[in-house]
Amino acid sequence: MKKFTLLLMMFSPAYQALSQEYVGWLPKDENWQDNKSQLQAFGEAFENSWSMYLFLLESADGGEMLSWQDMSAPAYDWSGIFTRTSGGLSFDPDISADETTAKLTEAGRAVRQQKIADMESTGGEYDPISDCRPPGHPRWATEPFLHEFVVTPDQTWLINEMVNDVRRVYTDGRAHTSVEDAYASANGDTIGFWTSGMLVMHTKYLIPGQYQRGTQPDYSGEVELVERWRKIDEITLEADFWVFDPIHLSQPWYTRQSWTELANDDNYLRIRYWDCGENQNNVILEKEDGTSQFLDFDFIEDDAAASSDEEIR
Amino acid sequence: MKKNIALLLMSCFFAQGVMAHHSAAMFDFNKVIDVSGVVKEFQYTNPHSWLLVDVTNEDGTVTTWGFEAEGPSTLMRAGIRKSDLPAGTPISIRANPMKDGRTAGAWIDAVINGKMINPRNGFAVTPASR
Repeated sequence: MKKFTLLLMMFSPAYQALSQEYVGWLPKDENWQDNKSQLQAFGEAFENSWSMYLFLLESADGGEMLSWQDMSAPAYDWSGIFTRTSGGLSFDPDISADETTAKLTEAGRAVRQQKIADMESTGGEYDPISDCRPPGHPRWATEPFLHEFVVTPDQTWLINEMVNDVRRVYTDGRAHTSVEDAYASANGDTIGFWTSGMLVMHTKYLIPGQYQRGTQPDYSGEVELVERWRKIDEITLEADFWVFDPIHLSQPWYTRQSWTELANDDNYLRIRYWDCGENQNNVILEKEDGTSQFLDFDFIEDDAAASSDEEIR
Repeated sequence: MKKNIALLLMSCFFAQGVMAHHSAAMFDFNKVIDVSGVVKEFQYTNPHSWLLVDVTNEDGTVTTWGFEAEGPSTLMRAGIRKSDLPAGTPISIRANPMKDGRTAGAWIDAVINGKMINPRNGFAVTPASR
């Protein structure tokens, strides 16, 4: 870690030196509910995501700068094809998708209730990602398709097969883009540091979205995250997520996310390109009632190779 | 043991007919249709694959049906490869039909050459063994 950057961060107005007790990694074992409560309380002790991140950075004495020689260590070998371990379309994998453990503000509750009411009245919904726009973060964590994770000394790439989606985590000591020059995007801007084989990261400048379809809550454009990723065994990555959203959450939302390396003995599983225009039968329209419908089908041979209905005709 | 239960739950969740990339509002999950015909084309594409099946009607005309499944990587995890369903393959297929009556559905499972295949098994998590 570049100490100069660290000092700048620690003396920034957003940093509050709290007399907070550090909570390290806690296993997802038979004591998980107690551990989870402790991790939830840890997040709640901070006024915002940035003060939590700086506290973690200070607790790690500025973090460790990795080298290419470190990459052969098991802690940094995140190779393989992974998928989300469990949780389905629930942001909190410990519960079903029609529930939430988020502590919502009045505004957050109102948005969720409106989603529920709309689905009850129409019998369906439209998902904005139907046209292959990225799911965005923190929804990124819930997507169920293939993932690859690439650790290098200066950056870590968190790759989602879905819509060719990559989260880049800069671990070279750089700061976030300045507020004056920043703009919001699906995956925002992520910086991080390593400590004892654990990648700690902070993400901001995100666009609003939903944690998932169905009755999962929405998040606002002020959402920010602190995450701690680590490999817990040869085939499993786990991550602590603290989501901060002053508009929709009255308290940070803690969850433990997980990805499992898949069996791939024949090497058939590979990350391949996603394009909603690749097959015209995949065009999804939003109906006036807010639900989803396919465009007219052609069902002719080779229409998967055509780019539009006009070209077919 | 707990891990195995979690993996099973995930498999069951998606087996209920949830499309992971778009809302499944256009399908009627209270109905199941059973269609027999021959494969016209297996469109092995992202984000969703389509199996086109030619069905001969009672009057001798042929109607092409389309059955949606997840994309190639999820089908591979279900053990269904592109080469498993060449054109001309006789097939019996079950699906949740479209609500609007068009000749398409959400593919549940199928029988080819006496073998059952289930594309929704592709969300089961089969861990690597290292």
